Amino acid sequence: MSEHAPDGRRGTGPSAPGEPGPRRTGDGFGRVLVAVYGIFALAASARAGVQLVRDWHEAPLAYGLSALAAVVYVVATVALARGGPGRVVARRVAWVAVGVELVGVLAVGALSLVDPEAFPRATVWSDFGSGYGYVPLVLPFVGLWWLWRTRAAPDSSLGPAPDPAPDPEEAA
Amino acid sequence: MVLPLLLVVVAVCVVLAAWAVVFVVQDRAVVLRQLWVAAGIEALVVVQMIVLGVLGATGTAPSDPVLLWGYLVTTLFILPAAAVWAFAERTRWSSVVLAVAAVTVAFLEWRAWQIWNA
Repeated sequence: MSEHAPDGRRGTGPSAPGEPGPRRTGDGFGRVLVAVYGIFALAASARAGVQLVRDWHEAPLAYGLSALAAVVYVVATVALARGGPGRVVARRVAWVAVGVELVGVLAVGALSLVDPEAFPRATVWSDFGSGYGYVPLVLPFVGLWWLWRTRAAPDSSLGPAPDPAPDPEEAA
Repeated sequence: MVLPLLLVVVAVCVVLAAWAVVFVVQDRAVVLRQLWVAAGIEALVVVQMIVLGVLGATGTAPSDPVLLWGYLVTTLFILPAAAVWAFAERTRWSSVVLAVAAVTVAFLEWRAWQIWNA
């Protein structure tokens, strides 16, 4: 029973060298990112679904935000999976979704600490995602970094302007 | 919830995750034998659901069955998704995805245990 790996050891680069345009956001490391986003899309959707259907009145703000988080994760997952050369829209949508996600986790995380009364029930983003091992806090930074990594070469007009660099202190 | 069965599922998940991490280090993609282990985990989760269904029907129902079954059904989707990735991405990154998926299933099992005992 020797290790007959059908794959061997292949290159890990997400695109051919010298490719001018923006690279696909759903290949290589991007696939891991899409997978983690997919897990969060699933988890947040399931959670929001249960909360909204069963006990919406207990905490409308928190549950509304849970639903918003779910939508953001779903959109980011799909956009990241589809982003690539000629997929300007998908890439732009991914920038916006991941940006909203970053703002959301920072705002809800800060608010839930400052004013816990407003969030009597937990959301994915409460306490900066401490209930999920702080993955919700780290994920948008990784997402923005990946979108920036796979952007078009500077001479191409297809890519969006790189966002201002995220504050590294926030991620610590 | 049956603790021995849960521990077996978590243990196999940890083994699969460790195996996948070894493959990440070796720069290799997921191989079919790892997917057989993943299929085994899926089968164990289905057995677990049957056992819980029987337990629920005979009286020892969890306090929050909707949440519990939500977690269990969600658990079933994780590894098949990783398997799809394994076929689509023939690089080391499929091994990373499989490792993440296995850890996620273990985490969801732990959460299900918490909900059952809540």
